[in-house]
Amino acid sequence: MKIYQVALKEIGKRKMRTLYTSFGIAVAVSMLISVMITASSGQKEVFNVIARYGHSLTITPVDKSSSQSLKNFGIGTGSYIPESALPDILNVYQDAIVAGWEKMGALIFQEGTMGVAGAAFPPPTFAPRLYEETTVKGKDVIVGGVVLEKELIARFWWDISDGRFMENDNEVIVGKLFATLTLTKPGDTLDLGNSKMIVTGILRETDSPDDYMVFTSLKACQTIFNKQGKISMINVRAMCPKCPVGEAAVEINKKVLGVRATSQMEIATAQSQIFQKTTALIVSFVVASLIISCIGVFNIIMGAIHGRMREIGLLKALGASKNQLIRFFLYEAVLIGVTGGVIGFVLGGALSHIVGPILFKDIVIQISPRFLVIAVLLGTLASILASIYPAVYASKIRVTEAFKSL
Amino acid sequence: MTTMIDINDVWKIYDVGGEKIEALRSVNLQIENGSFISIVGHSGSGKTTLLSILGGLTKPSRGSVKIDGTDIWNLNDRQLSAMRNRKIGFIFQFSSLIPTLRAIDNVALPVIYANGGGKTDRKATYEYAAELLSTLGLGHKLQSFPSELSGGQQRRVSIARAFINRPAIIVADEPTGDLDAQSESEVMEFFSRINEQDKTTFLLVTHNLALARMTDKVHTMKDGMINQNNGGSPA
Repeated sequence: MKIYQVALKEIGKRKMRTLYTSFGIAVAVSMLISVMITASSGQKEVFNVIARYGHSLTITPVDKSSSQSLKNFGIGTGSYIPESALPDILNVYQDAIVAGWEKMGALIFQEGTMGVAGAAFPPPTFAPRLYEETTVKGKDVIVGGVVLEKELIARFWWDISDGRFMENDNEVIVGKLFATLTLTKPGDTLDLGNSKMIVTGILRETDSPDDYMVFTSLKACQTIFNKQGKISMINVRAMCPKCPVGEAAVEINKKVLGVRATSQMEIATAQSQIFQKTTALIVSFVVASLIISCIGVFNIIMGAIHGRMREIGLLKALGASKNQLIRFFLYEAVLIGVTGGVIGFVLGGALSHIVGPILFKDIVIQISPRFLVIAVLLGTLASILASIYPAVYASKIRVTEAFKSL
Repeated sequence: MTTMIDINDVWKIYDVGGEKIEALRSVNLQIENGSFISIVGHSGSGKTTLLSILGGLTKPSRGSVKIDGTDIWNLNDRQLSAMRNRKIGFIFQFSSLIPTLRAIDNVALPVIYANGGGKTDRKATYEYAAELLSTLGLGHKLQSFPSELSGGQQRRVSIARAFINRPAIIVADEPTGDLDAQSESEVMEFFSRINEQDKTTFLLVTHNLALARMTDKVHTMKDGMINQNNGGSPA
């Protein structure tokens, strides 16, 4: 028999105390592991979206005769870009992106696709919009004319909560807030100008001005408001994660008169940073709870030591050195930590399956074996840290003090 | 004969609430190798303190304790632990078993510490542990936990444990306290046999004068001082 076997027997005989102590570690470890799994899976989801759609550009006309209400709404200027300018803008954009890639030493594969070292990306998506102000059901509202298939790429978060997207030029969808305030539902008819439009669906809440808008096809909007060949803005999706859209914006501003291109890359970067900082904040809270768990384990082990004064004194009298006693208690700590780590991993994995889908839509929880390793290492480290002082304390107990109880 | 234990001018003074209590006062005692001696005295006379000091469990306030020529209080913790483990077998006043270990594991425990938990001849250790337990009438209780043993059986397990490392000295504090007359007689017979066969030095502390008379020499302790008396009757 070896010292660790004596510790094992001790733990085997005091299963409930060991489980109770391990559970203190397990709770904190499970929280940490669930945050890590959720953050890791969620970040993958965010990166997947960025990788799929890339950053974006907004191209608006230079403000000449501005509409204050549109500006207040933050969705346009009231001026127009001729639809015929779209191919030119696209060309300038493509040239700028290719030049940007070349500057970075990247490869250009084929016309329309760009990429780096073997990775090809689809061409960008230009989603034009026309905004017009009108009154519907006695409420002032903005009507957006969109090219639906492009809009669904540019605004990939769009979803219908009730009904379906429009398919014909006499159909509209409405924002959630508008639908609530005007009691509009799928199947209703709305008067837009002189046209009667059928409501086919309610847009799921987006927390953006889209919630208080009515959307129809670009062609229908141009016809209804007599704005043929005109658009209010263009949303550009780069469709590649690292496309130099900032440089493309600079080139468009330089070469296309009457428009202003604004890169949204900074927003995406800031969002990513906020995500990381939020994760760090949550992790710091969880680490604090791990420290609290350590204090709990410390108290339990100190209590156990006081309850085992007789044994400790006896072991010393039988020839156990300070080092051997410290090892004896640290073996126990390792076993408690490993048990806590494994339980924490299982609980954390289960918790991430509950929390993940609440935080991220369409998240795929991926539990990698590295999280088990992290859980066991963390549990063991926490348990050892909590046990060092009690172990040293036990090793210093004077035999005669223990003997008073013998 | 060589001197196994040499206690020279040992004092033990406790500070209790600012008051100095002299538990031992200039104790001098030389015990030769292979002796079988006992110390008798009233409660509080200093018997257990003396045992603790010569067993390396309590540091004296003054004086020296030599075991087999080595001043034990000049040793570091590891050396002192090793000396306690290999040279001295302790039999404590009350039952002192590890509750989570079986009887045979309790007996083998000092070997684990003697070998640093490493190279232990497990088979030989456990054979000897079983032999000791059988000799003491516990051959059928090898796998029992302390909670499954009576007080007297627990005492016999702790007696067996004291012998597992074949120590040069056995220090026993009321070794037969929980035993009936027959068991007491068997244990004393066992002590005598080991004493004769292996020349193990025995130092017994007891209130039991009948037991003390079974030893070769009896010392009496009173007020922290020791008197010596030869021939099995106390001074």
